[in-house]
Amino acid sequence: MAQKLPDIHKKALAPIDMVRYSGASGDFNEIHTVPKVARSKGFKEPIAHGMLLMGWAADALDEWFPGRKLSKFTVRFVGMAHAGEAFIIEGMLTTDNAGELQIKDASGTGKLVGSFELA
Amino acid sequence: MNQEFHYAPFRVEAGKIREFALALGLRNPVYFNKEAALDAGYRDIPAPPTYTTVIDFWNELDFYQLFKAWGLDPNDILHGEQSFEYEKDIISGDVISAKSVLTDRFDKKDKRFYQIETTYRNQENEVVRIGRATLIERREQHGAEIAGHS
Repeated sequence: MAQKLPDIHKKALAPIDMVRYSGASGDFNEIHTVPKVARSKGFKEPIAHGMLLMGWAADALDEWFPGRKLSKFTVRFVGMAHAGEAFIIEGMLTTDNAGELQIKDASGTGKLVGSFELA
Repeated sequence: MNQEFHYAPFRVEAGKIREFALALGLRNPVYFNKEAALDAGYRDIPAPPTYTTVIDFWNELDFYQLFKAWGLDPNDILHGEQSFEYEKDIISGDVISAKSVLTDRFDKKDKRFYQIETTYRNQENEVVRIGRATLIERREQHGAEIAGHS
């Protein structure tokens, strides 16, 4: 029954993508954009907003299921995403209207795992 | 516990949806083009599935004030989990009110976890979305990076 969905390859994340998402979302937490603040908080460099990855995952659902609306969408942020990394979104349909997805970097390290139900 | 926070009512606008959709690289034309939105059965441009973040942050009474009211430093907060239930569409022109409730708080090792449930209602007082977030407060800044984003 489970049906694999086509992998979606994202181009490498650029620092400006995090700046742009900060402005668009209003989430100006400086660990996403200011290297000095990120380092002072124990990160080696700025980390991407979790909600930037969840937004990508929503875009993947739009590509996999054009014209379908969501009824539930749940994600867990399992790893930090940084500029310079490219990502793959993988998905699996487990029933007629529900499934799972994940975002990994090129080395296979997980960044986001989630589940969804279509309306 | 039992902490509540009310966001200011927020008007959803097509230009802000467009900016948000561009920042995420969304490709569905319904977020950019009213004709496409009408063709897809919406009455105007719809908000994308994660748009409630904009309501949380670009608001007169916003998430930063929630952090302050609850005694949190936003730069110490990571986002562990997020879920949404979609009850009705959020459409350009809607005015969305939101209320956050702290539903649980617990400590695990050097981290404090906050579970926050936010209910979003439109101008008709209909529930449009329910968001549930797990936020992680890092109380020890010198360790290795932990799982979770902000």
